[in-house]
Amino acid sequence: MTVYVHSVSMTKFGNNENASLKDLMLTASKEALDEARDLKIDAVFVGNYMGGSLANQEILGAIVANDLGLGPIPTAKLEGACASGGIALRQGILGILSGEYESVLVVGVEKMKHAPTATVTQFINSAMDQTTNERYAGLTFPGFFGVVANRYFHETGANKSHLAKLALKNRENALQNPLAQFQKPATLEEIMNARMITDPLGLFDCSPITDGAAAVVLSRKPSDIKIVASAQASGPTMMQDAIDLLSLPAIRISGQQAYEKAGVGPEDIDVVEIHDCFSMTEMLAIEELGFFPKLEGWLAIEQGKTRVNGEKPVNTSGGLLSRGHPIGATGVAQFYQLVLQLRGHAPNQLEKRPRLALAQNLGGTGSYSVVHILERV
Amino acid sequence: MKIYECCGVESVTKKVYCSTCRQEIKNEREVPDEGTVYSFTVIHIAPAEYAHLAPYTVALVQLKDSTAKLTVRIQESVQIGDPVQLDEMKDGTYIYQKVRTA
Repeated sequence: MTVYVHSVSMTKFGNNENASLKDLMLTASKEALDEARDLKIDAVFVGNYMGGSLANQEILGAIVANDLGLGPIPTAKLEGACASGGIALRQGILGILSGEYESVLVVGVEKMKHAPTATVTQFINSAMDQTTNERYAGLTFPGFFGVVANRYFHETGANKSHLAKLALKNRENALQNPLAQFQKPATLEEIMNARMITDPLGLFDCSPITDGAAAVVLSRKPSDIKIVASAQASGPTMMQDAIDLLSLPAIRISGQQAYEKAGVGPEDIDVVEIHDCFSMTEMLAIEELGFFPKLEGWLAIEQGKTRVNGEKPVNTSGGLLSRGHPIGATGVAQFYQLVLQLRGHAPNQLEKRPRLALAQNLGGTGSYSVVHILERV
Repeated sequence: MKIYECCGVESVTKKVYCSTCRQEIKNEREVPDEGTVYSFTVIHIAPAEYAHLAPYTVALVQLKDSTAKLTVRIQESVQIGDPVQLDEMKDGTYIYQKVRTA
């Protein structure tokens, strides 16, 4: 059995001041459902991370089913930190592959902008093990990737300018994406000199706080896009337990499994959306997914290989860094950009229309990774 | 400092089962509270509960005589390779400092 993508939708990412979590979720869901009206939805999977803690709203799946008149169908919310959206997609796919459902709606959503940064940082920390000495040391998410970056610089010829070039690439891509959070151009100098968040990571190296939602309708009925692989892996929940600090094994393993399932290799992938929660994360991910040799991702950045129409275009949407990162929506938004690329009308559409696209969604400091490969039929 | 070991993997974190042999992790031994800075960051933007301490350094310390690493807070600036030692254990936090040479 094969699972196909029938429709994708996405709200504008950024500060959706007048929209509630529910509004965002229903807007994206309705748009995806309207595009797939001939399908009867059998189940809903919602990707969301902190609806309960930050927006005081749970039962998201039941709200979708009720307000959109889907009937008494089963629904569930999936949580896997920043990989919540990717995990929701995967559960939708597995639900269809099991034979239980013919068609499902997957929606990812987060509402974050209304809360102060310190509060959001505190809640995001719940995606690290909160019973350990790392929490008490005051380690944060950007802190983890700051520690990784300093070691990466120590072991390679890379420096802060390589992370800045990567961040600039994603910002330039976002300028062409009308739904992206950041549409103001930035310069390399501005990125290099921006306010420090967790040394050596500055403001532009860190994904922003974002409101937004994205939705996808999947079905076993054929369409123009099929899902040729869905894979997921787990990794360490603590920095001090990493066997190799410069490796995110969950990304590597989920990538390897996805390539195996699809019967393809990294060299076959035409366009990629990677989980660049931090510039450093994209650097490690392009190595772990086999696009470039280990500890040589920075050379690929230097040579512009991951730019639009480069050898391996990464984050043509602007990525989390500049499209924005409404946590539970991110994994689903990756599908949105890739489906548009495969259909030939994406922001930053590649000159040669792609056939194979890969999405990689990360949760925690490498605790979860989900990889999907999509193919234009 | 106590570290736990099974199948060649050493960790300061006490886990239940070993992911290699699936047996209960039983080996433990004491190692010195000192080591070298493996890497670090300076946290300028902290979570609400640590905002009053910012900026502060969080370092990953390679413990002496072990392959295990330990996440600590340090109140001074450090570089990779700096020798460090335990200053005090406070509220569940390993607070480290640079080793002073006489």
